[in-house]
Amino acid sequence: MTVIARRLAGHLARGIVMILVVATISFFIVRNIPGDPVAARYQKLLEQGMSPEAAERATAVMYGFLPQGSMWEQYVDYMTGLFRLDLGVSVTHPGSPVTSVLLGAAKWTVLPVLAGTLLSFLVGVIMGVYAAIKRSGKLGDFLAVSGSLLHGVPQYVLALLMGAIFTTLIPILPQGGTADILYEPGFNAGYIGSLIEHATLPVVTYALASYGGWILAMKSSVVTVLGDDFILAAELRGMKRTIVFRYVARNAILPLFTILALSLGLLFGGAIFIEKIFNYPGLGFLLIDSVVNRDYALMGGAFLLITAAIIVANILADLFYSVIDPRVRSGEEVSA
Amino acid sequence: MKRLAAVVALLGLTAVTACSGGGTTNESSSGGGGGGLFTTIDVNRPGIDPNGPANPYNPKGNSFLGYNAMKLAWVKNHLTDPNQFYPGIAESWEIAEDNSSITIKLHAGNKWSDGRPVTAEDVRLSIGVAYTQGSTAFALTPGAAGAAADVEVVDDLTVKVTQDMTNPSSKFARGVLDTFVAPAHIWGSVLPDDFWDKLKASRGEGEDAEKAREEITALGEKIIAFAPEKDVSAGPFTLERVNPGEALLVKNPNFYNAANVAPDQVKFLNYTGNEQIWNYLISGKLDHAGFTAAPADVMNRIKQAPGTNIIKGYSPVAVGMAFNQTKKPYDNVHVRRGLAYLIDRAEVTKVASPEGGTAAVTTSGIHQKPAQEWLGAELNNLEPYNPDPAKAEEEFEAAGLQKKDGKWALPDGSPWKVTMTAPSGFSDWIAAQENIKGQLVEAGVDAEVVTVADYPLYLEEIAAGKYDVGFWLIALGPAPYDIFQRLYGASNGWTNVAGKITHSAPGKNGNWMGGAEEVEVDGTKINPGELTGKLNSVGAEEAKPIMLQLAKAANQDLPVIQLWDYVNTQFTNTSRFTGFPEQDSDLLRLPAGVWIQLGMVKKTS
Repeated sequence: MTVIARRLAGHLARGIVMILVVATISFFIVRNIPGDPVAARYQKLLEQGMSPEAAERATAVMYGFLPQGSMWEQYVDYMTGLFRLDLGVSVTHPGSPVTSVLLGAAKWTVLPVLAGTLLSFLVGVIMGVYAAIKRSGKLGDFLAVSGSLLHGVPQYVLALLMGAIFTTLIPILPQGGTADILYEPGFNAGYIGSLIEHATLPVVTYALASYGGWILAMKSSVVTVLGDDFILAAELRGMKRTIVFRYVARNAILPLFTILALSLGLLFGGAIFIEKIFNYPGLGFLLIDSVVNRDYALMGGAFLLITAAIIVANILADLFYSVIDPRVRSGEEVSA
Repeated sequence: MKRLAAVVALLGLTAVTACSGGGTTNESSSGGGGGGLFTTIDVNRPGIDPNGPANPYNPKGNSFLGYNAMKLAWVKNHLTDPNQFYPGIAESWEIAEDNSSITIKLHAGNKWSDGRPVTAEDVRLSIGVAYTQGSTAFALTPGAAGAAADVEVVDDLTVKVTQDMTNPSSKFARGVLDTFVAPAHIWGSVLPDDFWDKLKASRGEGEDAEKAREEITALGEKIIAFAPEKDVSAGPFTLERVNPGEALLVKNPNFYNAANVAPDQVKFLNYTGNEQIWNYLISGKLDHAGFTAAPADVMNRIKQAPGTNIIKGYSPVAVGMAFNQTKKPYDNVHVRRGLAYLIDRAEVTKVASPEGGTAAVTTSGIHQKPAQEWLGAELNNLEPYNPDPAKAEEEFEAAGLQKKDGKWALPDGSPWKVTMTAPSGFSDWIAAQENIKGQLVEAGVDAEVVTVADYPLYLEEIAAGKYDVGFWLIALGPAPYDIFQRLYGASNGWTNVAGKITHSAPGKNGNWMGGAEEVEVDGTKINPGELTGKLNSVGAEEAKPIMLQLAKAANQDLPVIQLWDYVNTQFTNTSRFTGFPEQDSDLLRLPAGVWIQLGMVKKTS
């Protein structure tokens, strides 16, 4: 067995244990959240004009979708189901398995967060290099300040600002949704154009919110590498600037790859405010909705999905780092 | 960097592929929608679920009431009579004088969207389904008020439903006509072949009956989850497609009144918060939206949007400041009255619900508009509790409260603080409580507002008697029983099982209000819960004196201080369509789909 395979096996074993522990903790936390979902539904029906008795009977049907039995029995059922990827049935989406509800929403979260993360990573890394190289100039100052500023502004403030500008003051982008329903879904220009148009605000907002972190991290990393002896040696040997730049970039970007991998772990839970503000119905919105309606199965499933993604991303980051950084790889081989 | 670029390109390609719809057929765009696109939002239902079935019983289903989900008839927003309707699947109906039966006649020649005729068998199946879903008229609970005894298919277009007269209800006809109708040829499989035998068995007593009831109730889950392959509707529209942000419905040419249905298409927009609805209204995107609370500045911007037309009418619900009378000093009626004299309800309403409410003229337990109908001139004889600090002081003194250094304290001299609780997110309730707090503090009564995480938690804790003072919805008309059930029902100790009223002690069985079981009104002791129970079965004339007694009880005993009566506010836009209901119309609580199917809404020329 190779070093990487052994390492992978160890990570997987630890990851599975962690997921089970997290599933257990989230199960008990979720089940102990106070609040009465049936009473809330009952009151809502009353407000909508249903008579008290009719509302009482209509909400009684909901009991069938609530977990039954003692807490321990529910836990055993939940964990048994987990091994079959059966996370139960949603109360707010009666009759729908939690897994299908989560999968349905997940793509609308992954799309803007993935695109936003990659966009911010690309722009942030490039700008970070410039900010480091030109750190004593006005451009460097400007880039560093823009990074600090955007890094400091909370995501929801940025989202509200973007929404106010591009949907109200200069209404050139849609206010919500994923695509105009008038377009037939499929691989056609109208539909894809509409998808892109609707995703623009969430993606750009997510990218702007993350950009600050990348530029600051990259600048710091480049500045550190620029001070390393091997760069000085390369310059003294008269190497071309482009080769020196490659040396700098390859070494400086290593820690950022780890952060990128970890960021990808947040794909499923990273844009709650953005989804809410832009009415983009992904996992974040689903999570809020499930908490408000005390949809225990859905809440548990969403927490589990987010946690599992982060654990998997951690494992991948670790493995990825072993692959791309020869120092880590050779260290492992020596110790093996 | 090359490797990075390759990884990025690969991920980008993955993202584009993901958004391409998973390899669905490549058809050309059908965008545009012509001039007949009606855009709306269901304010009662945030979150369109693309996986939701076209099933009217599923809360997340893609059946939109009045559009592709049809009921036998549509309940009018009448002040006092719960049995007033507009035609739906039923063209007409005849209610027996003693409410013992209703005979329903369907539209002749009406068809489902797939071309099959709408028949009495569809209605019979839908009634069977209603038994599994919890319905007023089609209840399985033995002895339930207003339950049907028999369903008879008279002919292809006629159905007769008779009421079990052992515990009759004046709302029986409403319970029957307020039933969804689904196509039997699509939904037939959801009920087992022996369903009607089971139903018959469930009406008896003993183990077999209990088992039959359990089996029928268990069908409810299966029916909620039922997903027809295609939407088959007898409404003015059918569901074409849905994504997480929008749903598209197209005109059903088979609808009985299709010639008078103006829009060719209806687009439902999703929303996750009120601010999105405000933005849609400000930009003039919506042709119709139900009431959404909005701050004054937002409301002004909505009003300025071209074509905006706001329609207001009666909304049978009011909000009251409710007391937990098991907690001191709220057990003392003089304290409750003193507080009523201190609170300027007009100011509270102006701050909390300027567009969506009118300040309550008094506390009667009834919304102001039907109160005039039910109580007549007697309404003016009720104590209005106009702001009067001197009277408040008298009441507090009568309760034994002490005033020290300008601040009111409990009779034993210990500090008194009015703690009001509201659920987070209920901005109008919180604004009202903050305003009341300010008014009370100014009058020397210490007060605070506590918010709890959300509504489910609020309801759980208020029912557990954790709060001193909270807000409570009351006056749910138009049926008299529904109006007072909120004051003299389970929350105040009275439960109505099969027409038998029992009272539980404060703190037991959901009795968190903790009011007295008997109250003296005009020198006579009355049991408000028993009187409320009577309202379920009596006719309008017999109900009037009972309503008066209960209104007087509520007025003098103040289990709640009625703060404001809600106003039904509908937003419409006349830029693309006209013919919306007039102010105060009895159509205002019905979805715009009903306005459209009745042929009222027309394209703007």
